[in-house]
Amino acid sequence: MKMKILPKIALIIPALVLSLSCSDWLELEPPNGLIREEFWQTKEDVESAVMGAYHTFAAMDEALFKYGEIRGDLVAGDNNQAVDERQIMEGTIYSENSMCNWSEFYKVINYCNEVIYFAPGVQSKDNTFTDYLLYGYLSEVYYLRSLAYFYLVRIFKDVPLVLDPSLSDNSNLYLEKTDGDVILEKITADLNEAYNWATVDGYLSIFDNKGRATKPAFDALLADIALWTFDYQSCVTHCENIERFNKYEIVPGQEWFTIYFPGNSLEGIFEFQLDDNLTQSNGTYGLTNFNAFNYYPSEYALELFDPENVDEFDLIRGLGKSIKEQTEDVFIIWKYVGMFGDNQTSRPNSIQNSANWIVYRYSDVFLMKAEALSQLGRFDEALAAIMEVREERSLDFPENLVNTPGRYEDIILEERARELAFEGKRWFDLMRMGRRNNYSRKIELITIMVRNAPSTQKRILQTKLTNPLSWYLPIWETEMERNKNLVQNPYYNF
Amino acid sequence: MKVIKSIFLLVLSLFICAATFGQEEVIIRGRVLDKSEGVSVIGANVIEYDKANRVVNGTVCDINGDFQLKMKDRSNIIKVVMIGYNTMTIPSTAASNLTIELVPTTRQVGEVIVTARKRDELSLTNIEERDIASARVKIDMEDMRESGALSAADALQGKVAGLDIIGASGDPGSGSQLVIRGISAMGNNQPLVVIDGIRQQPINEYSGGSEFDLSSADQEDISNLLNIALQDIKSIEVLKDAASTAVYGAEGADGVLLIETYKGKLGKVQFDYSYKGSLQFQPRAIPMLSGDEYVMLQLEQWHNKEGVFDVPPEIAYDKDYVDFYNYSQNTNWLGAITRVGRTHDHYFNLSGGGDKTRYFTSFSYIDEKGTTLNTDAKTFISRINLDYFLSKKTLFSVQFSYTNERVGNNVQLDDGSGTNRTRNVREMAYLKAPNMSIYKFDAYGNPTGEYFNPINSYQGSGSVYFNPVAVANLSTDDRRSNRLQNNFTLKYSIAPWINFRETLSFQFGGSKSNNYLPYNALGNDWLEWTVNKAEESNNINTSINTETQITFNSPFDSSAHNISGSLAWITNQAQYEWMNLQARNLPFGDETATGGRINWIGDGSGESRNVGALVNLNYKYKDRYLVQGIIRADAYSLFGANNRWGLFKGASFGWRFSEEAFMDNINFLGESMFRVSWGVSGKPPETGRGLPDVTYARFATYESGSYNYYTHTGVVNTQIALDNLKWQSVTQTDIGLELSLFNDRLYLEGDVYKKTTSDMIFSPYYISSSSGFQNVPYFNGGELENKGWEMMMVYHVIRKKDLKVSFNFNSSHNENAFKGFPDNFNKEKDVTIGDGKYPLRVEEGQPVGSFFGFRYLGVYPTDEDAYARDASGNLLMDYAGNPLPMTYKDYIFRGGDAKYADLNHDGKIDLNDVEYIGDSNPDFIGGFGANIKYKNVNVLCGFHYRVGFDIVNRNAINTQGMNDKNNQSKRVLNRWRVEGQDYKDMLPRAFMDHQANNLGSDRYVEKGDYLRLLNLMVTYQFKNEFCQKLNLRSLDLSLSARKLFTITNYTGEDPEIGQDASDPYWIGEDESNTPPPRIYTVSLSIGF
Repeated sequence: MKMKILPKIALIIPALVLSLSCSDWLELEPPNGLIREEFWQTKEDVESAVMGAYHTFAAMDEALFKYGEIRGDLVAGDNNQAVDERQIMEGTIYSENSMCNWSEFYKVINYCNEVIYFAPGVQSKDNTFTDYLLYGYLSEVYYLRSLAYFYLVRIFKDVPLVLDPSLSDNSNLYLEKTDGDVILEKITADLNEAYNWATVDGYLSIFDNKGRATKPAFDALLADIALWTFDYQSCVTHCENIERFNKYEIVPGQEWFTIYFPGNSLEGIFEFQLDDNLTQSNGTYGLTNFNAFNYYPSEYALELFDPENVDEFDLIRGLGKSIKEQTEDVFIIWKYVGMFGDNQTSRPNSIQNSANWIVYRYSDVFLMKAEALSQLGRFDEALAAIMEVREERSLDFPENLVNTPGRYEDIILEERARELAFEGKRWFDLMRMGRRNNYSRKIELITIMVRNAPSTQKRILQTKLTNPLSWYLPIWETEMERNKNLVQNPYYNF
Repeated sequence: MKVIKSIFLLVLSLFICAATFGQEEVIIRGRVLDKSEGVSVIGANVIEYDKANRVVNGTVCDINGDFQLKMKDRSNIIKVVMIGYNTMTIPSTAASNLTIELVPTTRQVGEVIVTARKRDELSLTNIEERDIASARVKIDMEDMRESGALSAADALQGKVAGLDIIGASGDPGSGSQLVIRGISAMGNNQPLVVIDGIRQQPINEYSGGSEFDLSSADQEDISNLLNIALQDIKSIEVLKDAASTAVYGAEGADGVLLIETYKGKLGKVQFDYSYKGSLQFQPRAIPMLSGDEYVMLQLEQWHNKEGVFDVPPEIAYDKDYVDFYNYSQNTNWLGAITRVGRTHDHYFNLSGGGDKTRYFTSFSYIDEKGTTLNTDAKTFISRINLDYFLSKKTLFSVQFSYTNERVGNNVQLDDGSGTNRTRNVREMAYLKAPNMSIYKFDAYGNPTGEYFNPINSYQGSGSVYFNPVAVANLSTDDRRSNRLQNNFTLKYSIAPWINFRETLSFQFGGSKSNNYLPYNALGNDWLEWTVNKAEESNNINTSINTETQITFNSPFDSSAHNISGSLAWITNQAQYEWMNLQARNLPFGDETATGGRINWIGDGSGESRNVGALVNLNYKYKDRYLVQGIIRADAYSLFGANNRWGLFKGASFGWRFSEEAFMDNINFLGESMFRVSWGVSGKPPETGRGLPDVTYARFATYESGSYNYYTHTGVVNTQIALDNLKWQSVTQTDIGLELSLFNDRLYLEGDVYKKTTSDMIFSPYYISSSSGFQNVPYFNGGELENKGWEMMMVYHVIRKKDLKVSFNFNSSHNENAFKGFPDNFNKEKDVTIGDGKYPLRVEEGQPVGSFFGFRYLGVYPTDEDAYARDASGNLLMDYAGNPLPMTYKDYIFRGGDAKYADLNHDGKIDLNDVEYIGDSNPDFIGGFGANIKYKNVNVLCGFHYRVGFDIVNRNAINTQGMNDKNNQSKRVLNRWRVEGQDYKDMLPRAFMDHQANNLGSDRYVEKGDYLRLLNLMVTYQFKNEFCQKLNLRSLDLSLSARKLFTITNYTGEDPEIGQDASDPYWIGEDESNTPPPRIYTVSLSIGF
């Protein structure tokens, strides 16, 4: 009898299996992964998605340094400089250059698009998710998205304008380019709308108030965009908005280095917060410390800060502050390496990679305002704006300043070079000058750019730069291969 | 360890069992006669059974029909068994000298053979083996047992037409790549492995994409084939066409390997032991420059680039330089990391059985030491196959197998290119500056006993240009894995014509990897993330598979019509878990650490499920016309509800024309068949290299942990949702002919086939990064076609008692072509040309793996020769009337530079001058061999060949480019140096940091054709008399040599290059892995 039971049991097993519903049995979700079906449920989910976008943008600090500096004239490359970066510097730019890879910007953009797409729906799932919170988060991602596009337009001119998140393989993943001016109009409109939802200083900590988008940060970005599009009046308005908030102060000369260490100074309007101990490391230390052999100050930068050349002029933000004499006649960039502006004390190991990346600070705002005012012909006000910065730093001003836009342009450019050296601004400042008034001062820009090039390259570079389209980078080869709808940027389209 | 312990306990208990029966020993002698004719019966089994009807002892009658049996217990009974006779039972009280007369059975012997024809039990169909009308090849592994073959894949190489096997590398524990009938998919083309009817769960080695080792990714895939002792394998059957693989539905698309292991046989206990000892020799390496020659080359490179230049102290031979002694050596780096490898392989098995129970159990221990310093592997494999006949109708089988493997390797390090490519010590040994010393000298030339590992050397960073000897000796990279499998099968005969079978299989695979890089292995700043770095990863895979099957034959007796078939229901559940942790600056020995830091931690787990249902029907008319059909439906949890179910099918038709009446007159024709088959089988996506785990790939996934912003938790979407993921399916048509001629002396088989892969899976499929993602990790699209023919032949030249000579040959030809691409697919990739880069292109109608590049025409002897010319050979002039030189990007060609064909005669070397220069698919692959047996000596040899394919010799690109600081091969001594030099085979001039002389051209594309003596083996089987003196059943001694020689014109180390098409742009490049060594083996096998 015993023998007969076994086969019966055996028949029952498959019968049991069969009786289970197949579709339920096959519906498996990841046990420890977070999937979209489970995300976007609470206001905390929305907040963490916003923070993910901040993190990703902040992690680009090294790239922001390079985009803003290496085509300018304040840094020079050393032995360990990547070949691709050296080629950019020498003006031998081909589309296979990895600096043309824009994917990190678009990651941020996609994260922002996700928040814009999903956050409103969360309100129906989470009763505590108020309109105030929702629009606050939305204002932040609109800010980050606009900032990303502003960088992209300045670097590549025309780029795909992606406003919807890439949800699945059914989404349109192969967008065409949109005219850069159209993008700037779009982001200006976005910023102006989101401005109303942004807080002035309503975040709970100083790190949040400096590290997240606030109304003054909106104004600073809008001023920057307006300056780029030569809408000077609008630039002045936004700069004045910031002054009206009365939240910021120009750091006095003696304390100037506190802008960089510990950072989040009185001057800071928007700084990407980086802290190695929270495993959010900066990349600028790795680029500029002595052992990196990567980037050091250029001849021109040394000239700017050389006490012998410029009286006692810029000791306050010069030698020992912006730069440091490491060994005899060997200088390094000090803003991301030093702990004090004493030409000596480096950041200790534990916080070596903790320098913030400063996007906007108060002195930048005054200098933007001065630039706009001088172009409007309001020279006295412009001078006053420059002096706002300099006086607080206990600095004099060169006399015999002729009231012409060109002269002011030069002065402000040099002032910005001293004040904002190595902060990823220089190249865009130069481009702004070169583009102004229908490229009327193109030659000056070229002269400056060629200054930094190796002697063998100077002539070639000069010829190349005559075409302003060469000031933008080409679309990365790999990107061109992946997206048939893209057309290569004109100068590189051969 | 627990498992090993329990195995030993089990073994011990088996011995104890045997021992307890050793009571009253009585010797019984007798003679067995045929009752009707009175002649002696040779070879009858005389078996002693105890009261529980278990076999205790047994013997076989000799040539006179005599036997002598030492009975364990006088009270036991004896049975005399012989095919063709009724079994006779002798009661325990019988005398000790017997004459036994066996009664012949009433059935004819011929009929016995018919019923003994094996049914295809291992597969899910219910059909007799000889009636199968689809393309499959069965290889008997008996012959390969004593050869030096390392694994089943190794033993199969060159044996099966249409099966391409490529060894991944010559390092211990590395695997092989198996491709059946051409590349039919991107990525993994490995066939499904089925051992004794149990589908083997592929090991999911997903480790979160961090530092995923590309070179070992494929090795895991075939671990199923490695983890079975070669000696346990009775046969391997290769299923090639879709009509036979459709049985395996969603997983059969790449072909199926059916492996059968030995089972216990009726008779007394048999005990076998075999030992194999091998020595492995690395083939001669490419000769590299000595230190002096290297320094000379470097100086020349700099000079050609910069004219007058500051000589770096490392290559200046300046005696005042503090490291003078460390940079003035002539080090043979390759020699320093190479050694003679050796292997010890011990194998035991024990088998036997009675009417009720049969058993087979084996243990094997293999200890390998590789030819590269510090590479080794130790493997322990055991297997138990038990069959219980519970009743006449019920059979219960249990199989248990366990493998424990430990592979020791060298740590591979990032090559500094930013592409996550890693470099092993062998590759480094090729590149490393030979003027550098292995061990450090102080400034006065005294050895310090430490490895010379500067943080920055002339070549670059110490963590990229590491000291290969230091890394080989100091670093560890161990991988330990355990695999356990338990199968239970119950067969029950419901009625004589209908049977039920239930199989339950549990599989467990666990592996643990550790690697460690001590501070003194690399030249590094103490704070670097690679210093005292340790990494550990754990993987656990489990799976439960069930198969429920009902098989039936025609219930009515008819000689003309024969129906059989089966119904089956299959479920698979697979689960995995992994954990990975890396930390740095850990304390090591007596060194104090600066405080360990974690580089990363990751973990994951998951589960996938699959159900399938199958109907199979076979019909045979008059033993001549065969029709077989199969339908299987499969559903996988990997896919969304919209694409979950797949339907797979196959049909085949066979005509055994040799049985036709009109063929009766043709005497030389044996059993021969013509067959046609058609089928569709599928393939689910597999976890790709560095891609998200496929189990949940369809979900949009968010990640947290490393995306925090200041103190706020950050979460980002790291994986796009896949709404369209589905199967890749393969449709295949096959026409074949099997011919047996001249009394089975000559066997011929030929097939033509066409195989189309549709909904091909790209993993990954790259998308525009403006989407915020780099790729869609898995994407279906496009079509790929393979068509070709294959033939095999076995010819028994002599079949005498003392001399047997047979010869076998097989060959196959495959043509591969893309038939379609997805909508947004770009057919060009990396079209930027540059240093050693080949523009990658695919075209409809062209095969996977076509090379495009420049035509290399030699070297310009002088500057004048480098002027550009138009189509008719006239100089091109600029507006001022000066001749224009040839250019590449901004570079102007001069004397000594490489000359490339300027196809459009515009004076510029650019993409317009790129043309088709080769193809990595072989035209013919196959093998041949001979087996000669003379009395006790058996000689076996096997050749393997691949013909008609090209290889990009990446090693030559790296060692003949003369544009960087890597060491170069001796070949560069023949380079252009002075204006006007022009001689045969001259290489271009040395030029630092320059691409133009080293562009992707046919200079580095070589014919890969080779013919290799794969195996040569001589076995001596000791005579029976001699064995009996030693109280042995059998004793064999054999000598074998593997990969003894290779005939090839290829100048790289080895032309055996993998067909590893992970993406459509793949081209066959020789990346200089450890080439397969020559192996000499002595083996001894003893049967007790």
